[in-house]
Amino acid sequence: MTISTLTRGGAQREQQHCLRKMERVIIAMQDPDIGLKMRNQRLLITVIPHAMTGNDIMEWLIQKYNITDEEAGHLGGLLVQYGYIYPLKEPRSLILRSDDSPYRFQTPYFWTSSRWPASELDYAIYLAKKNIRKQGELVDYEKQNYNLLHKRINHTWDFVVMQAREQIRASKQRRKADRIVLECQEQAYWLVNKPCPGAFDVFDLGPERCNVLNSRVILNSSLLFFLLRISSVPNNSLSSHFLLSLSCVCSFMKFCDQYHQHDPIMSGCLPSNPWISDDTTHWTINTDLVGTPTRLRVERWSFSFMELLNDCLGRREFMTYLEKEFSGENLCFWEACEDLRHGESSKIILKVEEVYKTFLSPGAARWVNIDSKTMERTLEGIKQPHRFVMDDAQMHIYFLMKKDSYPRYLKSDLYKNMLSKAIVPQETKKSVFPFMRRQRHSSPSPAMVSQATEDNEPKYL
Amino acid sequence: MPLIINKVCDDGTTSSPITMEEGKALIESLIKVVACYRHLASCVGGCTDNLHLRCELQQTRERAHKLAVACRHHLTARLRDKTLPPEERQEMERLWVAFTSSLELLHVDMCKVLNMGSNFSLVNTSALVKTGIQGETREVAARALSLADLNRAEDPVPGSLEDLEQGQLKEEIVRVDQMLEDMEEKVNVPRWMVEARGPQYADPASMDSTSLGLYSMDEEASVQHEQRCERSQVFVILALCGVILVAAVLSVCVIYFS
Repeated sequence: MTISTLTRGGAQREQQHCLRKMERVIIAMQDPDIGLKMRNQRLLITVIPHAMTGNDIMEWLIQKYNITDEEAGHLGGLLVQYGYIYPLKEPRSLILRSDDSPYRFQTPYFWTSSRWPASELDYAIYLAKKNIRKQGELVDYEKQNYNLLHKRINHTWDFVVMQAREQIRASKQRRKADRIVLECQEQAYWLVNKPCPGAFDVFDLGPERCNVLNSRVILNSSLLFFLLRISSVPNNSLSSHFLLSLSCVCSFMKFCDQYHQHDPIMSGCLPSNPWISDDTTHWTINTDLVGTPTRLRVERWSFSFMELLNDCLGRREFMTYLEKEFSGENLCFWEACEDLRHGESSKIILKVEEVYKTFLSPGAARWVNIDSKTMERTLEGIKQPHRFVMDDAQMHIYFLMKKDSYPRYLKSDLYKNMLSKAIVPQETKKSVFPFMRRQRHSSPSPAMVSQATEDNEPKYL
Repeated sequence: MPLIINKVCDDGTTSSPITMEEGKALIESLIKVVACYRHLASCVGGCTDNLHLRCELQQTRERAHKLAVACRHHLTARLRDKTLPPEERQEMERLWVAFTSSLELLHVDMCKVLNMGSNFSLVNTSALVKTGIQGETREVAARALSLADLNRAEDPVPGSLEDLEQGQLKEEIVRVDQMLEDMEEKVNVPRWMVEARGPQYADPASMDSTSLGLYSMDEEASVQHEQRCERSQVFVILALCGVILVAAVLSVCVIYFS
């Protein structure tokens, strides 16, 4: 009945593993003997301790972990991006500069946490505080967020304003230097958790494709055999539930049959398994853009359209075929949409413009044939571009290619030539003398090694 | 179930009924205490984290709990009263939303403090994060408890206090959880239907006028503290100017007489 923001009695969310590792690095930096060297920050009259320069951080990382400059720069950059260290001079640019620019540690309360993610209520309180302290201090995107939140959580707005006022009054009890630090801390926290649109967002996990991974059928062997027995009994009145499971089983068996020859564990790999024989021919003949592909690889292209598209060579071959048929723009459009979906946030608007100019606008050079409804919807969506705005059109073109061009490609001369040209490598003869073969030892799994060290380390001590 | 209903009704009628104004004051003090608790929680794990801070957190929590129980009785009694006029009911619903939101904030802060407290042990202070904070949080805690100043007890033994505190904290978190669940069961208030009364952009000038009489003492004290700081800064600047003037006069004399 009531909407609550707390997760009630549900499973405890775990802190993301990478965040825990970063926290350990930060704790190691605090050591008074071998930790980072602290300096003082001077602001006119006030002096605030515990500042460090970007150079200090880089040198400490290089020395402690015995890594190169580049790696230290990357690691330090991650620490800044995830909000464990914040810059003092230019707070909005979350990068680690390896010069004199000052940085400071973030207080543990504001550390990035996947257990207690930043809530809308907190953000509303922060924006209200910023507005109350100084009118007109809110930046454009913050004003927009403020208005949005006012609409969305309007029922608690009185509480938001009262809490904001009380928090300001509480912080007035501290001395000036501490107040400055507290404001910087909070600002840094929100710059990480609610970044400016277009800026790098550490929480942007990328688009989620609802495809094979989600619809994968997980069956255990006992269920499999049980259902097979049922299916073999004739004239059995099977309920729809069983029939559905049966169809899953059948598709599973079909998959197994089809891929049996292609699986290196089930059928071995030709010419030989590189991990065992130390002969890397298998890898060299299966590289992405090799001149003559193997037969197995070309056969796999006929299993499904996605197989063909996922293979670089297959995609290139398909593109050549489409260009012969004068429908190459379909595949180009599909590739451009994929790039949009998986690419950088800051380039989204540019990419949408380009796609529109090249493929969708009325007099475009490579105009794609989409039905009118989808075209209308896409053009509407382009006015407010985002990552998934081309999804409908992309899906339409994908199915067009799959139903129309793909079967024709498989029957075409191009494919048949490829198949006949494809090589079948010879299996290398195993040496006659068994003691000449290299002994195989299983190396300890890296996961087990790190587990052992984790258990030995006490928490932050 | 009948037993529980009786209990709530009894509490409403046997004790002296709290007026609307008093109820509102209770909620406002709860909001103040939650804000102070959050302020104190942001110092845990930092270089100013010490036993005093943990004591202050505990005292603030207890005060918040007392206020929450009182608010809950008042609000549930009022909202279950069918004869309430509609404007009063709207007001009560607004207070209800404020109450549940403060409890949720308090719950999150308590969980965070529990987590950080267990990670940052006070026995080993070298692991505390150097955040740049220098001052004490005494005044904030005094504000939360509506006292002029905190009187510090003798320092208890670190280890025993921490274990005791963690255990108590877990219990209190469970209590707040239960309170939230009880409330949702007993009173049917659709939160999203409540309309806020205040303006979208709060007026910064009106900040001091909305504080209640209880805090006027604290406000004056803080204002005086600020004035004193500003005065000392002004003295320093004046002294510097005087020195510069004297140096200028001396140099003019030297040039003139040589």
